[in-house]
Formats: sequence, structure tokens, C-alpha cells
Amino acid sequence: MPRSLWTGSLSFGLVSVPVAMYSGVVDTDLHFRQLHAKDHAPVEIHRYCAEEDEEVPYEEIANGYETDDGDMVILTDAELATAAPRKTRTVDIEAFVDIDDVDPIHFDHPYVLVPGGDSEGAVRAYRLLVEVMDRTERAALGRFVMRTKEYLVLIRARSGRLTLTTLLWHDEVRPAKGIPTPTKRDKPARKEVDQAVALIEALACPWDPDRYEDAYQKRLKKIVQQKRKGKTVEVPEAEKEPSPVPDLMAALEQTLADIKSR
Amino acid sequence: MPRSIWNGTIAFGLVTVPIKVYSATESKTVHFREVHAKDGSRIEHRRICSKDGKEVDYDDVVKGYEASRGKWVELTDDEIAAAAGSQSRRLDIDHFVPADEIDPDYYERTYYLGTQDKGKDAYALLHAALEKSGRAGVGRWIFHNRERTVVLRTLGDVLAIHTMRFADELVDPGEFELGRVRRKPSEREIKMAASLVDGLHTEFDPSDYEDSYREAVLELVERKAQGKNIEPPEEVETESADDLLAALEASLAKA
Repeated sequence: MPRSLWTGSLSFGLVSVPVAMYSGVVDTDLHFRQLHAKDHAPVEIHRYCAEEDEEVPYEEIANGYETDDGDMVILTDAELATAAPRKTRTVDIEAFVDIDDVDPIHFDHPYVLVPGGDSEGAVRAYRLLVEVMDRTERAALGRFVMRTKEYLVLIRARSGRLTLTTLLWHDEVRPAKGIPTPTKRDKPARKEVDQAVALIEALACPWDPDRYEDAYQKRLKKIVQQKRKGKTVEVPEAEKEPSPVPDLMAALEQTLADIKSR
Repeated sequence: MPRSIWNGTIAFGLVTVPIKVYSATESKTVHFREVHAKDGSRIEHRRICSKDGKEVDYDDVVKGYEASRGKWVELTDDEIAAAAGSQSRRLDIDHFVPADEIDPDYYERTYYLGTQDKGKDAYALLHAALEKSGRAGVGRWIFHNRERTVVLRTLGDVLAIHTMRFADELVDPGEFELGRVRRKPSEREIKMAASLVDGLHTEFDPSDYEDSYREAVLELVERKAQGKNIEPPEEVETESADDLLAALEASLAKA
């Protein structure tokens, strides 16, 4: 069982539900470590005081904020925790929303919430929230502080548990202004759009996340195996980037014909 | 003018759309630096050899994968990059799905797509066709030595991609054990909670919510800079609602 990342309570009206939070994501990536070239001893990162040239134990490290005048303001974790004492321990549920109203651009990181403790009161209150969110098909919107950041979060019921998804704040989404887009002259003919929609329909299918796998990680594992056996790894030459098609309509028609003859 | 972070080509069938990729999101957290608590001097991260305890020059660092305990397989950056294969400049769209079927947990990050100098007509066509079909494209994208499934959609006038997590990266919430209860929540409690949910129902508008913590932290910095004392807050006991029904009734009465 992994360690919980945060413990606190969900506050819903006057009902308070103690919870513990776990990551909803597992790391499946292959990880490399920095090694000392001469003997393959792992390299460790140590913290040193630049002034004294001495190693600094973790307890002696604080948070520094450089002001515009170049002064360094020092805050300890305990002092930082005073910025929003309630929010560091409580997720206050402010509203309930339809999840379809939330644009996916805001979705950040998923977590799983479990009851904080085995007491009858804690587990019952938790179960009540699961049940009511399941029935109403709505998600709770709240906010809380974890480490040194405040998060806007969506809490939902899934598989009989509560899950929490952090959201990006509206000002963390950049405006699309300045992104180069086509001009009016590039507007496609209706026939082309119809043909392209026909192609999309020909390639239509339901969303099935299980059909996608990380081919990169698979190849990387193979490369590690080859290297382990002392084989040389062939670095494939990059293929030339495909050039823009001169005749869009012809490309659409040919692709549709290819799909139909499969 | 935003800076692009990747140039390449979307390919679906024989149709190719040259694109530039831009970050659509940014973090607005107040950032701190690690400092030595007693005098605020800078903290440096130094690479130390775990065997001889001496500092290791960056040129003497290689990457290794631990194949078995203590046994390292060394790989060069080129060898790691080889996993990208030969088609690293393509973003292939394989099929098109109804986007509302996708669970939010799959979404990772969002990027805007811009046109390149050539092929703007293909970009405009893809945009128009996606809009008309109401579907989103699904493809693969290799970026920074990672492969991601991407979902391609329109976002106003631009095309955008969401990088997606793989199914095996997501934890099944059902795997977490729940403690037993002697009494399940009663129908009456559920109904009362449901009316509380209804009372708090609102349409989601992201601009209704501001990150007030950033301000609070900056104020704290200001107070500390002026040499003021920062008092830790009193511990507030959070109590779990032992009498659920009473708490629900009181909440409804207040609403």
C-alpha cells in the first residue's frame, strides 16, 4: 500500500468526512539513473550551502522568496502553513457541477480518496457521499491546499469510491491568441469538408483506452535488453517528414478508397 | 508571439497537415527557492558519487538502467532516443471517437496546434471536418522521449491536442478497501444529502474561481520582509460527524 499524499477532511454543509488521498496514477515508465562513468556507482544529489561550501541537512532548508529588490525573504514550512490554515486541512465543497461542463483543458491530476480511519462515523459519511454523487451523477467542486499550492478540485464517485481530480485555474490556461491559424483564403470547399467528414466516419469507433499501449516504452525495454547482451543498438535514421499534399481532394478520395478496400 | 515547442506533421490517411505545437497551459504557483534557513544563502544541488563520496563532474555522468540489483546497463542519449523509431516527426491519427466517452482521468496536458507556412488549407479542412463530425481524433505522439496517446479536437479557431494517460497507468479506485459499517446510510439520509447537492448545483464557469492562496502567500512574504512575527494558527479539531442525520438536517436548515 502506498503512502497517502494528504490527509484531511471533506466538508459538505455541516457534514465532515475525514479522508486520505492517494495518487490515481502509477508510474510505468522505465527510469534511468545517473551513474559515475568510471565504475557505474550511482550518483546522488546532495544539498550544499553555496556560502559555506558545506552539506546542509534537510531540516535546515527553508523556502526563499526573492523580492523585486533582490532581497531574500525566508519562510519555514510552518510559517507557510499559516497562509491558509483551514484549506491545508479541509476540502470545502462549494458547489456541485455537471462534469460535461468542465472543458478537459482544465483536468490536471487524478487522485483516489479513501475514508480517513475505520470509525463507523467516518466510513458512513464517506459512503453517503459516494451514494449521493452516484445517484445525482454530479461532481463536487472544492478547493484545498497541498504543499505550497492551492488546488481547485472535482470530486466524483467511481467504482464505489471517491476520486479527486485537480483542475487548472482559469488563468493557468493560456489564451490561444497569437497561435497561427489559416486565413479566409484557406477556407475549404464544401465538397472537401463532406469528403473529410466521410473519412472521419469511416475511421469512427468508440473510445477504448485499452487498445492503446506505450510502444515507446516497449521499444526502450528491448533496447535495454539488447544492450545488456552486449549488442549494439541501431539508431534508426529519421524518416523525412511528409510534405504537404498538393491536391487535398485527391488525397481524401484515395484514402477513402484505401479504407474501403481493406 | 508564443514560441512553438515542436514542429511536425499530422497524418491521417494520405492527408498531411503541417503543424507547430504550443503549450496551452502554464503553472501560476508562487515559486520558492531552497535556501539555508539560518541565513538565506543559496542551496546548490551537487552530484556526489555514492561510492567515493566525491563530487562528480557532469562530463563523468552516464545514464544507467538497473537490470538487476547493482547491475547497471549503460545507455547513451542516442540509444534512448532510438526508441522513438523513425517516425518521430509524425503525429498519426488512427481513428475518431466521441470525446464525451473519455473519462477525465485520462487527460494529462493540453497543447495548441498552429499552422506552418505551408499546408494551411489542410489545417482549415481538418478543423472544419472535426467541427462538423463532432468527433475527436485519436493518435500517437512522441515528444521528449515519451510516447503519448493524443486526442485531437477543435478549441475555438484552433486545433488542440490533449496528451492522454495509458490505461495501465491509472489506478482502479475499486482496489482501495473500504472499512465495514454496521449501518449503511439510510434512504432518508441519502435523500437529504441529494437535496443539499441540488441546492448547491451550479453551471461550471472557471472564471468564478480565483486562486486566493497565491495572494495569501505573497502577503505572508510581505509581512515577513517587514520583520513581523508569523504566529502559527491554533489547531482546530476537525470532528467527524457521528450523527450524520443531525448534521444533514442542520445543513439543510442553513441552506
